[in-house]
Amino acid sequence: MSSRRSFLHTGAMIGGALGLGGLPKSLLAQHDPFLLTPQPVTRAPASLNILILGGTGFTGPEQVEYALARGHRVTLFNRNKTRPGFFKGKVAEELQGDLNNDTSALKGRQFDVVLDNPTTLPAWVRNAAQQLAGNVKHYIFQSTTSVYSDQSIIGLDENSPVGVLPADIDPYTLDPAHASRYYGPLKVRAEQEVAKQYPGIWTVVRPCLIVGPLDRTDRFTYWPARIDQGGEIVAPDKPDDPCQFIDVRDLAEFSVRMAEARAFGLYNAIGPEKPMTIAEMLYGVKSITSTPGFFTWVPWEFLKEQGVRPWRHMTVWQPPYGATAGYQRRNASKAIAAGLTFRSLADTARTTLDWHRTRPQAEQDATLRGAVGGLDMKREAEVLAAWHAKLKTAGPG
Amino acid sequence: MALNILILGGTGFTGPEQVEYALARGHKVTLFNRNRTRPDFFKGKVEQLVGDLNDDVSALKGLKFDVVLDNPTTFPAWVRNAAQHLKGNIGHYIFISTMSVYPDNSRPNMDETDGTTPMPADVDPYTLVRENAGKYYGALKTFAEQEAERHYPGQVTVVRPGLIVGPLDRSDRFTYWPARIDRGGDVVAPGTPDDPTQWIDSRDLAEWMVRLAEQKVLGTFNAVGHSRPMSELLYGIKAVTTAGAQFHWIPAEFLTSQGVRGWRHMTVWLPPTGPTAGFLRRNNDRAVAKGLTFRRLAVTAAETLAWHKTRTEAEQKALMEGAVAGLAASKEAEVLAAWKATQKGGPDHE
Repeated sequence: MSSRRSFLHTGAMIGGALGLGGLPKSLLAQHDPFLLTPQPVTRAPASLNILILGGTGFTGPEQVEYALARGHRVTLFNRNKTRPGFFKGKVAEELQGDLNNDTSALKGRQFDVVLDNPTTLPAWVRNAAQQLAGNVKHYIFQSTTSVYSDQSIIGLDENSPVGVLPADIDPYTLDPAHASRYYGPLKVRAEQEVAKQYPGIWTVVRPCLIVGPLDRTDRFTYWPARIDQGGEIVAPDKPDDPCQFIDVRDLAEFSVRMAEARAFGLYNAIGPEKPMTIAEMLYGVKSITSTPGFFTWVPWEFLKEQGVRPWRHMTVWQPPYGATAGYQRRNASKAIAAGLTFRSLADTARTTLDWHRTRPQAEQDATLRGAVGGLDMKREAEVLAAWHAKLKTAGPG
Repeated sequence: MALNILILGGTGFTGPEQVEYALARGHKVTLFNRNRTRPDFFKGKVEQLVGDLNDDVSALKGLKFDVVLDNPTTFPAWVRNAAQHLKGNIGHYIFISTMSVYPDNSRPNMDETDGTTPMPADVDPYTLVRENAGKYYGALKTFAEQEAERHYPGQVTVVRPGLIVGPLDRSDRFTYWPARIDRGGDVVAPGTPDDPTQWIDSRDLAEWMVRLAEQKVLGTFNAVGHSRPMSELLYGIKAVTTAGAQFHWIPAEFLTSQGVRGWRHMTVWLPPTGPTAGFLRRNNDRAVAKGLTFRRLAVTAAETLAWHKTRTEAEQKALMEGAVAGLAASKEAEVLAAWKATQKGGPDHE
């Protein structure tokens, strides 16, 4: 049994909030220890020789740590640019190269399983396969729910229609502009490339919004950071609107367990297990903060008038009707049946906030300015003032 | 500076938290109790005096203390009895009263200047009759506050907590929600998501009282958290669980028609209308200004739940049956079925 979080995140959790006889240990209260989802990690029955493509970004480090705790042998292949030397001395091997044009370090190597995290471009799958095809027993590819072309479908599952790359775009393009403009369709093509290169031994995992420590998109992180500031907080539209997200650690652990189980096929990796409303998410995040604050639910029509956009400013949220009716109501029952598990929201929120506080001050400031994801606090104050003025004009009732 | 602290009681619910915190702060702690609740719980860590506030306070004779924390007192006679020995021998008397001293709960944001409950003329304020403790709880606590001031003029702090919650709470009022939500499934939630609620974690209360002693703060204080929406409480508790509870907010009138009562069955809640409109919206400004702080809800919820799981099987079962407080699981299912039937636009079973 090994304790996780040994080196990945600062602000390590302190377990054992209860002493003998159930007496709370007030002595520890200054650190506010509380029990997060308990998860002692046991060793897997058999050790696998795992290659992780990338491994130093967001999902990767969690896979590395979990895989090591499960007793697997881990090799990384990356450019050694993102967090260079991060896992030095922890993983068996670090291979250096570039999926764009230099995969020579993989030549002649054999692995039980490959975890492919970074791939947006089908060319990357193809380039790695030049060395790996025929030398691996299992290829697990992290795709995205952005592959789905019709997000109005409620209960969208693995059989729902996916996006098609326009005929005039080369599927093996390496143009970064294409990577973002045709993100969904390119991921679809990358999935197909995986199936072509590793017939019968592939797994495609399609996560929705991935959240948690090390996430630099600020989409989920915005909420813990903002709520921790307290005061009056703009919340989007209706408290009962649905929301979905997956903790990066749940996703990473699921992918490692899929490797252990040699489970093939397509899986939506989406949380939480049971429906969650945006109010449950926001109050759940608030429960791990202590600054007094409250939410003002501003109708979507008014937010739109104010130039406040879903996802970009009101992160994690999408209007639950029209083109995005199904965006937060996708179906993950297949993955859950295959062993996808979920941490508590308090765990996700607290670990994310603890990590956020370790970021450079400039990054923390940027979060509250809504520079990457979220609503600028100054803009938020203006929106609130306008909303209250409108309510006043409208009069009571 | 280390204080010489006497704690009356000290082994119940708030007391143990005071003891631990006071010791951690470097104070000398003496307990006075019957040594019946958790006997010798703090053996070796504190001085233990055995006696009974009803009729045997001799162990206090001739002792001097910087400060007394009086937890257990419901009866003014207990204050009087302890004062036989403590009067003139202490510097500060901190008395835990209750917000139940307020007879009028009809308005939001009422503060410490609000009127308290007078003792009925035909009841002896020094009664030791057990039934009176429940029957005249607010009036007896009011009189006990005054009794303290009579014996220790200019040395008294009166702390009036709202609902005290957390580990070691046997009332099941707050504990009902973490325990219920942790079971998952369809959960009856009372009234509307915006109905107010209010509570205080026993550790926040205990620690603040010790700090009041250290700073020798006198006066009368409402000790309660900020009023918050009921949805904040229930969703915050849900966040520390993984069962995926689904809430059904059922209007107060319908709950009443089903025999489901606020506070008893739907705990930590009362309808925010009429005589209870202000019950869960008490003003806490004065205490906050004097240093009352609050744990995060996730901490209170997770630790209460963890403690609940260490309770005996019988106690956990009693909670599921709503024996002490809360709604019995079987009754909850009936209420939900009845509510869903009304939502379908008419009876569809008969």
